[in-house]
Amino acid sequence: MEVNYSGDIMTLNMGPQHPSTHGVLRLELKTDGEIVADAIPHIGYLHRCFEKHVENVDYAGVVPFTDRMDYCAAMNMELGYVLAVEKLMGIEVNERTRYLRIIMAELGRIASHLIAAGTYGNDIGSFTPFLWCFRDREDILDFFEETCGARLLYNYNCIGGLTQDIKPGLEDKILKFLDRFEPEVDNLNRLLSDNFIFIKRTADVGILSPEKAISYGVTGPNLRGSGVRFDVRKDEPYLGYEEFDFDVQVGKGEHGRLGSCWDRYMVRIREVLESCKIVRQAIAKLSPGDVRENVPKRIKPPKGEVYMRTECPRGELGYYIVSDGSPKPYRLKVKSPCFTVMSAFRDMCKGTMIADVISILGSIDIVLGEIDR
Amino acid sequence: MLTYFRNIGQGILTIVNSMAVASRHLFKPSVTLQYPKEKWAMPERSRMRLHNKVEDCIGCGQCARTCPTDCILVKTEKRGKEEPPVFAADGTAKKLRTYVFDIDMALCCYCGLCTFACPTQCLVMTGDYEYSVYSIDEHIYHFAKEKPLIPAGSKEQSPSKG
Repeated sequence: MEVNYSGDIMTLNMGPQHPSTHGVLRLELKTDGEIVADAIPHIGYLHRCFEKHVENVDYAGVVPFTDRMDYCAAMNMELGYVLAVEKLMGIEVNERTRYLRIIMAELGRIASHLIAAGTYGNDIGSFTPFLWCFRDREDILDFFEETCGARLLYNYNCIGGLTQDIKPGLEDKILKFLDRFEPEVDNLNRLLSDNFIFIKRTADVGILSPEKAISYGVTGPNLRGSGVRFDVRKDEPYLGYEEFDFDVQVGKGEHGRLGSCWDRYMVRIREVLESCKIVRQAIAKLSPGDVRENVPKRIKPPKGEVYMRTECPRGELGYYIVSDGSPKPYRLKVKSPCFTVMSAFRDMCKGTMIADVISILGSIDIVLGEIDR
Repeated sequence: MLTYFRNIGQGILTIVNSMAVASRHLFKPSVTLQYPKEKWAMPERSRMRLHNKVEDCIGCGQCARTCPTDCILVKTEKRGKEEPPVFAADGTAKKLRTYVFDIDMALCCYCGLCTFACPTQCLVMTGDYEYSVYSIDEHIYHFAKEKPLIPAGSKEQSPSKG
């Protein structure tokens, strides 16, 4: 957008304690009246030295630390890591483990998208959807708590399998929950997505064109919101996602131009329903087996390096591990989806109003724990 | 001018629509609990405070080695040959005398890796979550009951603490 600035630029700090920044993020806004000339994100407030620290922890001990990167979708975070180590060691897990992992990852995706939608409504000024989303998310957390004992930081996946099998009868509970939950998405649409005020605040705001999204390396729902049909689960299937029947949802630009905040938000809502479809299919395929069958006694991968990418709720999560043959990783690099979208954020904000910055920030759905690591 | 009023009309319409959805919940029971008076039942696998049944502990120190945050300190010494043999509940001979078994719950990250590593299943995570204290030192739990015979020169089983 071409804006002629008057030249009277004021610097405004947004954050780090701003409730809409979803964590501890400081935005340095250069404003000309109400128009944002530049928005410079300052990250690092949550830096915990993850990558350096895990070089001193053995491979199995890294899993609890990966949980703490993206605390809204910890199940997907640890899944990416254990898949990377399994690829390095050449471990094949059995069918039951695979399907249980998919069920848990997709439930985690639903829970994460519910937070994204709920807090986004809260940022825009609608409080009710926030509480509804958290109520439905609570049911998913209850399943996780029953299975592994923790509500948020699961440590459920372990290298070569799962720490414990699910409790008998959990499948029926999940199916019952899905039956109740799927109509609730319609309610959420009536309450928030189709709300005229919400559309006015989000549609045609923060446009990220497909070309720009690709050149910035944006992944996940943010990329699909710009109309690019790319999903690691479809394009580079891992864990047997190719056996499942689901659609990759993309933004269609129903309200205003393509790639707006509303498109990105709506992709998440549609993805929740797709995840429900996957969970149902995975439960139908679930066969008896031992989830700790392939767990190695000693985890000591051979020399080498591996890159594994998975689709976590916020985009493509990559783990790059260099092993020197010792029981501790020589180097572990995380490719974080939120970090890459943060670089596109500055471009999206230029020329918008100050209030739109909140809209844009909520729509890209970042978790600062993962950006700073 | 016409769009202005149309926008207001549409805004009111969607608000009425949302209110219709929301007002149905006025007549539904609440999902919250009044915490100190009412409590959730914790699931069986809850991972909260660690507890060690030290009678069954063989002092192998595997928990201390797996712990990613190094919050467990185990110190053992060999039992003398003339001493009567001691056995854990599952029949494993306790060849080592565990005279220090400290867990710093302030450092614990509640991952539960130590409980999976424990060969005699004596280290467990309980469902107890109400154990806040006034001083952080009180979070160090001392489980060992036995006293060392030879105080000096005994071997440490766990990684050294800073």
